[in-house]
Amino acid sequence: MHDRPAEVIAAPSSSGPARRAIFRWSWRLFRREWRQQILVLALVALAVAGTTVGTALAYNAGQPRDATFGTANSSMTFSGPDNADVAAARKAFGTVERIDHQSIPVPGSPSRLDLRAQDPEGTYSRPTLRLVSGRFPNGGAEVAMTASAATTFGVRIGGHLDVNGHARRLVGIVENPLDLNDEFALVAPGQADPPAQVAILFEASDHAVNAFQPSVHATSVATRGTLDTTLAATVVLALETIGLLFVGLVAAAGFTVMAQRRLRALGMLGALGATDRHIRSAMVANGAVVGVVGSVTGAVTGLVAWVALTPKFEDLVKHRIARFHLPWWAIVVAIVLATVTSIAAAWWPARSAARASIVAALSGRPSPQKPAHRFAGAGGVFLAIGVACLAFAHQDTPKPALIIGGTIATTFGMLFLGPLFIRMLAMLGRRAPIMVRLAVRDLARYQARSAAALGAISLALGIAATVAISAAAAAVPEAATNLPANQAIAYLEPATGLGEDTNAVQVMSSADVAKLAAKVSALAASLHAHTVLPLSVAINPSSPTVSVDPAQLNASPNASGGSVSIRRVVGGSAAPGAILIQIPASLGRVTIISNGAQSGFQISDQVPLYVATPAVLHRYGIKADQIAKTTDIITSRTDLHGLVVHAPPRDDGAGVRRGPEQWHPTIQHIRFSTDASHTSDPTTLVTVHALQHFGLKAVQAAWLIETPRPLTAIQISAAQHAAAIAGFTVETHQSRPSNARLRDGATLIGLLLALGVLAMTVGLIRSETANDLRTLAATGASSMARRSLTGATAGALALLGALLGTGGAYVALVAWHRRDLHPLTRVPYLNLATILVGLPIIAISAGWLLSGREPAAVGHQPLE
Amino acid sequence: MTALELRDVSKVYGVGPTEVHALRNVSLTVDAGVLVAVMGPSGSGKSTLLTIAGSLELPTTGEVIVEGTSLASMSRNERARLRRRSIGYVFQDFNLLAGLTSLENVALPLELDGVGAKRARVAGMQALEELGMSDRASRFPDELSGGERQRVAIARAVVGDRHLLLADEPSGALDSVNAEGVIRLVRAACQRGVAGVIVTHDAQLASWADRVVFLRDGRIVDQTMPPPGPESLLTPDARS
Repeated sequence: MHDRPAEVIAAPSSSGPARRAIFRWSWRLFRREWRQQILVLALVALAVAGTTVGTALAYNAGQPRDATFGTANSSMTFSGPDNADVAAARKAFGTVERIDHQSIPVPGSPSRLDLRAQDPEGTYSRPTLRLVSGRFPNGGAEVAMTASAATTFGVRIGGHLDVNGHARRLVGIVENPLDLNDEFALVAPGQADPPAQVAILFEASDHAVNAFQPSVHATSVATRGTLDTTLAATVVLALETIGLLFVGLVAAAGFTVMAQRRLRALGMLGALGATDRHIRSAMVANGAVVGVVGSVTGAVTGLVAWVALTPKFEDLVKHRIARFHLPWWAIVVAIVLATVTSIAAAWWPARSAARASIVAALSGRPSPQKPAHRFAGAGGVFLAIGVACLAFAHQDTPKPALIIGGTIATTFGMLFLGPLFIRMLAMLGRRAPIMVRLAVRDLARYQARSAAALGAISLALGIAATVAISAAAAAVPEAATNLPANQAIAYLEPATGLGEDTNAVQVMSSADVAKLAAKVSALAASLHAHTVLPLSVAINPSSPTVSVDPAQLNASPNASGGSVSIRRVVGGSAAPGAILIQIPASLGRVTIISNGAQSGFQISDQVPLYVATPAVLHRYGIKADQIAKTTDIITSRTDLHGLVVHAPPRDDGAGVRRGPEQWHPTIQHIRFSTDASHTSDPTTLVTVHALQHFGLKAVQAAWLIETPRPLTAIQISAAQHAAAIAGFTVETHQSRPSNARLRDGATLIGLLLALGVLAMTVGLIRSETANDLRTLAATGASSMARRSLTGATAGALALLGALLGTGGAYVALVAWHRRDLHPLTRVPYLNLATILVGLPIIAISAGWLLSGREPAAVGHQPLE
Repeated sequence: MTALELRDVSKVYGVGPTEVHALRNVSLTVDAGVLVAVMGPSGSGKSTLLTIAGSLELPTTGEVIVEGTSLASMSRNERARLRRRSIGYVFQDFNLLAGLTSLENVALPLELDGVGAKRARVAGMQALEELGMSDRASRFPDELSGGERQRVAIARAVVGDRHLLLADEPSGALDSVNAEGVIRLVRAACQRGVAGVIVTHDAQLASWADRVVFLRDGRIVDQTMPPPGPESLLTPDARS
């Protein structure tokens, strides 16, 4: 004793050296055991990376500003070359930017393309134009187009095309970076002459806009609303919350196992005189290291991934994204909170380790488990709170606090219910084979770590299931598209596309109709069609025949401006080169109040009304005696509550045209034998009775072409090209944006995350039970037994996680959609089957394949 | 001076049908500079005696007094401080922290007690030098042999101003040569005034003790004073 340095004996009070010593030990352990912690680190990093990318995407998903306003706050549209109004607007508002519009018929298609005369350096519209390649057009002989428009017209830079009777050379590919769906052709300012519409952009107060008195030619006045950032902020916060919950659960699962691995070392520290605080510090320091390394690595990885994936995201959100236009505050907060979450996740097992008896810790005995029903009670309370929050988070406007609170409470609810489900699984496994029984009992024995892992797996799969179910609920039903992919309709319409816009039918002689019918038959043959069904519309023979100047019609705006086209009717007699048209009774614009009215939806749509000819009735398996004698219209649609048909204007005999008149027909619903649920299908037919009663006449208007296989893009292009030459137009299937990729992507990511957590947890749990494995090996268990044990552990956790995740997702979504559960009836069976069946199978297989190695010889577990 | 005193100490584990009486009314006194060996069959309560003496757990009944202070009146933190300053433990499994070097392991109790790292290492190095391990100071435990690890563990147990050295089968994992080396070191520490309690199955090692206590079923059934034995083989330096 006399050899001891006396100064060491003094009782120091500083805790700094102790903290440093503890931190040094933790850091050394982290360096030594980084392989054991690599999965925890990787999952924390992955969660932070996913959160970073998700928040960046949510932040940039909304339109940066209205794609038509540019930097202006107001716009006004005039029909025709209304220079007086533009001059008046300039006087009233100061700087005004003018954009002229015409429309170009798309060859062989009923669609039209917007032609804009716009200054690329315009005061306000500059952000709405971007040169992709080539250059902007100059003078009257040049044009630029969006890439897809150029493809539709089959022209490349340097090529020529006919733009409303003027030959122009394509000099550049352009786009509207604020709206990549915006398809248009661009000419130099003043080169769309005469314009069908003139739009002006300007900066003005609401008061000034309201005070301005334009002429009758003003068709629309619009003021850009303030950008609503609430939704984006809510999504960002919700994503961060979910990401941090995942970080917390993964870290808690990992650190619980790490605490068990270090239990003897922690007991040793206690035996040396370390206080509870010292022991907690040892684990918390490890959590801090993992948190800092994982979150910084994750954030950097997320940023790199964001930059690399921005082009893909631009396709998704349909506008260009500035790479570094990011919610930096949210990313920094995510890094800080992920570190804090990691520390907090380490704190709980640290507390348990510090409270454990030193003797028990030295012998490596875990603390006795708390009864599962205690957790289940808390879980039930949390779940109820979460469901209530989500149910009231979606009233009129989303309430961020309730969404985030509901998400957190629901997740905690599922987490606390985990031990109960694990116990139940262990009870169910009582009669299972010995290895399965042992596996599920081990899960129950080590419920502290298996419950946290189960929570992380459930959360990952719950998010995947939520996205898949929500996407399926929001998916547009196939019937809401215009035509099936294996159908086309050839319309006897002028190539100007007039018919769609004006509800007009081109007047043709029988011989001309026969010639076109032959060309349609040839087209059908080239498509290997098995059905060519003639479709007729009803016209009023007494309605006036009008002639239209194609050149003027070409200047009309695109599809939305039908009324404008009508005003361009030249007169009652055919001028040289004019097209004679007749307004039919059939194509009146009608309003449909769909069955979705109970969901709060109201759909305005146009129903094509064809004549119920014998051929059409035969095709759809309708017998004549099925139709009541007084029925005017038969339909297969169930969503036509109040069908209103606008009858054609009629001459009252005194030279005064009246109308349009509303016709309230007698409608009979009939089940068609063949699917006829698409919007352009002949789903609604006017009967012979109505023809006779109203003195209408059936005229040939279109042919329905059906092929055995879906039409390819090449076939469609060829058909439209042939139709353009022959003088008719062809409508084909127009695909709607599908969220199937989103569903599949979410499912895949959820599965990968869950498998990562499984790998971490099963690996760590099985390393905890290495002694059991050694004992099994010593008692002669074969590799089959070891494989069964690991496979069953992984499979049981995966199955429970899938059930809880999917169940939790449905509970949350039912609460969210409580007012109308109808969308939830669209179930993504494949995605859910992948989660509920595929994941357990993958987990079992992976556990089976990777656990064949015989454990090291029976020996003492080293102190680590 | 009495370093350790156990008065009527009993320890019961479990409740009801699982109840186990590990110790029954054990009384024991160990003075400074005295080495006591505790022997007995498996399950006799030897290790429990040691853990209670070392304040790692509390007795069910009875009183434990270390350096004149009763453990019953101490909080968890006070007992931890007592372990840091007064009690040194040596385990059969060495229980060195794998992430720390030999020197850092030895200096750890001092650092936990708030001694600056530099001063703690000076003291730790001195303890290692006394045990002939200074050349292994920078080695990690997994780079040491079993005997070397146990010597580091002993150095850790005696570093600073410890008055009580408790050793639970310190030579259990060692061969006979290393086992004798270890007991020599423990004996030498006692020669310097440290009170020592050693649990062992090995009568040969127990013969190094000043007193041997026999436990059976949690009771002290015998105490003997072994004749002068291998201790006489200690070198004059070791004796001093």
